[in-house]
Amino acid sequence: MKIVRELRQDLIGRIWLLNALVTGLLVAITCAYWFAQIVEGEHYRELAENNRLRKLPIKAPRGLIFDRNGQLLVENIPSYNLLVDRSRSDDLQAAIRFVARILGRPVPELAAILERVRSTPDFKPVLLAEHLTLEQVAAVSVRGREFPEFEVEVQNLRLYRHGPQTAHVLGYLGEVTQGEVDRSDGSYAVGDLVGKRGIEQVFDKILRGRDGERVVVVDSRGKLLDEYGRTPVAAGRPLRLTLDLDLQQEAIRQFEGADAVGSVVALDPRNGEILALVSAPSYDPNLFARRLGQEEWNALISAPHDPMRDRAIQNTYSPGSVFKIMMAAAGLAEGIVNENDSVWCDGSASIYGHRFRCWSKGGHGRVNLHDALEHSCDVYFYHLGQRLGIERIARYSRMFGLGSKTGIELHGENAGLVPDSAWSLAARKHPWFLGETISVAIGQGPVLTSPLQIAAVTALIANGGRPIRPHLIQGEEVEAPAADRPALPPRALEAVREGMDAVVNDPGGTARTARLPNVRVAGKTGTVQVIGQAARTNPNALPFRFRDHGWFTSFAPVDHPEIVVVAFVEHGGSGSKAAAPIAKAVLAKYFSTAKQRR
Amino acid sequence: MPNISRPLSNAASPEERQPLAHLAAIDGGLAFAALLLAAVGLATVHSASSELAVDYLPRQAIWVGIGLVLLLAAMSIDYRVLLDLSLTLYIFSLILLGLVLVLGDVRGGARSWFVVGPWQFQPSELAKLATTLFVARFLSEIDQPVLTLRQIATVVGIVAAPMLLIVVEPDMGGAAMFVPLLAGMLLIAGVKLRYLLIAAVVATSVGFGLWTFGMQEYQRERVITFLQPERDPLGSGYHIHQSKIAVGSGQLVGKGYMQGTQSQLRFLPARHTDFILAVLAEEWGFLGVATVLGLFALYIRSGARIAMRARDRSGILVVVGLLSVFCFHVLYNSAMVIGFLPITGIPLPFLSYGGTFMLYNFTATGIILGVDLRRYVNR
Repeated sequence: MKIVRELRQDLIGRIWLLNALVTGLLVAITCAYWFAQIVEGEHYRELAENNRLRKLPIKAPRGLIFDRNGQLLVENIPSYNLLVDRSRSDDLQAAIRFVARILGRPVPELAAILERVRSTPDFKPVLLAEHLTLEQVAAVSVRGREFPEFEVEVQNLRLYRHGPQTAHVLGYLGEVTQGEVDRSDGSYAVGDLVGKRGIEQVFDKILRGRDGERVVVVDSRGKLLDEYGRTPVAAGRPLRLTLDLDLQQEAIRQFEGADAVGSVVALDPRNGEILALVSAPSYDPNLFARRLGQEEWNALISAPHDPMRDRAIQNTYSPGSVFKIMMAAAGLAEGIVNENDSVWCDGSASIYGHRFRCWSKGGHGRVNLHDALEHSCDVYFYHLGQRLGIERIARYSRMFGLGSKTGIELHGENAGLVPDSAWSLAARKHPWFLGETISVAIGQGPVLTSPLQIAAVTALIANGGRPIRPHLIQGEEVEAPAADRPALPPRALEAVREGMDAVVNDPGGTARTARLPNVRVAGKTGTVQVIGQAARTNPNALPFRFRDHGWFTSFAPVDHPEIVVVAFVEHGGSGSKAAAPIAKAVLAKYFSTAKQRR
Repeated sequence: MPNISRPLSNAASPEERQPLAHLAAIDGGLAFAALLLAAVGLATVHSASSELAVDYLPRQAIWVGIGLVLLLAAMSIDYRVLLDLSLTLYIFSLILLGLVLVLGDVRGGARSWFVVGPWQFQPSELAKLATTLFVARFLSEIDQPVLTLRQIATVVGIVAAPMLLIVVEPDMGGAAMFVPLLAGMLLIAGVKLRYLLIAAVVATSVGFGLWTFGMQEYQRERVITFLQPERDPLGSGYHIHQSKIAVGSGQLVGKGYMQGTQSQLRFLPARHTDFILAVLAEEWGFLGVATVLGLFALYIRSGARIAMRARDRSGILVVVGLLSVFCFHVLYNSAMVIGFLPITGIPLPFLSYGGTFMLYNFTATGIILGVDLRRYVNR
């Protein structure tokens, strides 16, 4: 025990020594503070008061965005803000009167701004006015010696040249959130503007570049005397989109006139380059360049038909008869039907003890696959669906890319839904009803697709079975690995293409309205009956909600397709009346002006 | 080699196991200093972040709240139980340090953070705690007045493992914290003066030799940049100059709360973290600095007293280890802010903004108070 106690005394002695050492050091450091603050305090106070070094951020100019033909879509325009530093003012009242005259605003209004910030320290600059004209900037600057309290700050604003026409593709900027700052590892600072939607958001890192900083020496009145040092800026890189502005504008014009709701997708089936991506109604992204008031924001988000939503990729709908092009390819590929097999359509079919009606009450008579596509005969596809069964329909749907995202760069894409019995058990907790297979066969029932997915399906049929990934940035083509390519006999796709050709060009086709004089167009209409679904989910829905959705998907020229156009009109009536004319206008534009430019 | 597999906690007889019976005997000085410093920290963080558009005060307040809970928890657990768990804790923290190199997020150039949603966690702080406990456990079994070379080497090995993992991140400030931990505990446990002198001479001459003869100018520059990654890109000691202006211009009574031109006009770097003392010095003057440094002195003195009256060797060593790291933080940071030492990411305990570090300090304080509560030996 004695030894232990002696050991303990040793330890305690050393702790005492170490504690004395630390305390001594603390006292020494305290003395150093005393020296800096008391002895040299006056000197440092002076240095601080006219701290002649100012850190001025140099904002990197954000990358410009062009369409495929080099037409400017977004540019940066300077915007001038007026700041006042009250600590530099000799006579604040006089200064306020001076700028009130230049700005054309009443003195009390400006005084009220200063009144609101009275409790903040004088030396913090206060924002008096935004978006000054060049004349106003000049008028303030020439009297700079007399009124040193004013500073003009230059800020770059994003100008979306075509406003609502490219809103959903380009997105807009907004102030960075705290979460984004935390996740960014120092590349974002509080107060930065970052892309909030669309291309601006997805490619923010590329577009924003890197901000720099200047440290300058100023005199006591804030006048710049010398530069102390700087870190250089790296300007944001420009982006060139696959979008064709003329086509985009032509597409959105179809909706503007009619006040219609819907979307258009145009893409190149050879490589997946998106030529037009339109969602109507739209919004003006330039609203966000200025500070958006709460009321404006509320008006925007509560506007009818949710203009912020990108209907081409975020919304999914029943594909209706457009689904039949996939069904036909599946039937042929599986060998369940051949092109000559025919069915008698008398206006309805009895399957699984239930009577399924064709859209044509009188029936289509004897139809083979070609006729069934041309006239969009439901009865033919009821029988085909029954023989394929839901599992095979689902397998082929997925092979065509339905039920999963297409992989477009934009965020928020909806994968849609390919139903099968496993889905039914998991999501609805009851087995698949056989009758539903018959509905799915004509694109009704639970199956859901986005307009972009329908464009991808059409592209695959048009290009002979090669899946494409729709994209907006040039040079992004990604070939699907050979193993992932759908096993579709070339003849099956050719038969579907011939059927789609007949839809537009044969006398009995459902989309005769989409014919063009000098180019052969192929397509498929779809009309989605909404009343049944809406009545089930919301019996009080407005009449607008009960109107049919119209689909039209098309490609041209038939022999060597170079463009796919999908038009979708929400509650706008039938595919042939509402959607086909829109696609036709886009195709006409493409083959007249847009094509010559390439 | 000492045997560390015998549990310490069983040594306590049942009548001694009254962890909170002596609550009145809690060391008032230590608790008072810790709480007051945390309160000063909250106020200063609020002022320092007022120009950042995000006020860090609410977050810091949440960290302080969680810290208080951890303090109470650490105080209630018998430190001998903690020591018995120390090997497990140590290995666990090494695994976390390994994982953070693979799965961690990069902040300020170092891959040293786990980020889960809004929560961030720096495993190096846990490693500091676990290593202190494990070294204390190891040294507590030795009953000779001085350590053998082999024992010293073992302790160096224990400390070097987490330290190297942190160097790889690379977080030099975080790794440097293990040096005072090692030095403090070895010195107190007893090292022959001869070894000390040899170590000092070897370290100095190797460092000096390398610096003078072994390196080209650009390499020296690189070492400096490596040690101070946040060094001002403009060169020229801009930050340290601004910090000195902030401190000096505070004079005796300061410019007033939220009125510091240096901090409010963003001249100061890392205002709410490493340079929080400069903000305080500018706004509260020498009186503010002296008060805060006085509170630190009170904390350290109380801690040393607790170490001296602890009931056994393991208790003494745990307190010494925790206190050494604390002293180093306080001394380095306060000297750095007035330009005596190069800028490195070493925050000021209880004042600087930072979640994991705040939790570490409260937990350490809890352990120290827990050692004190159990000082009475039934004789």
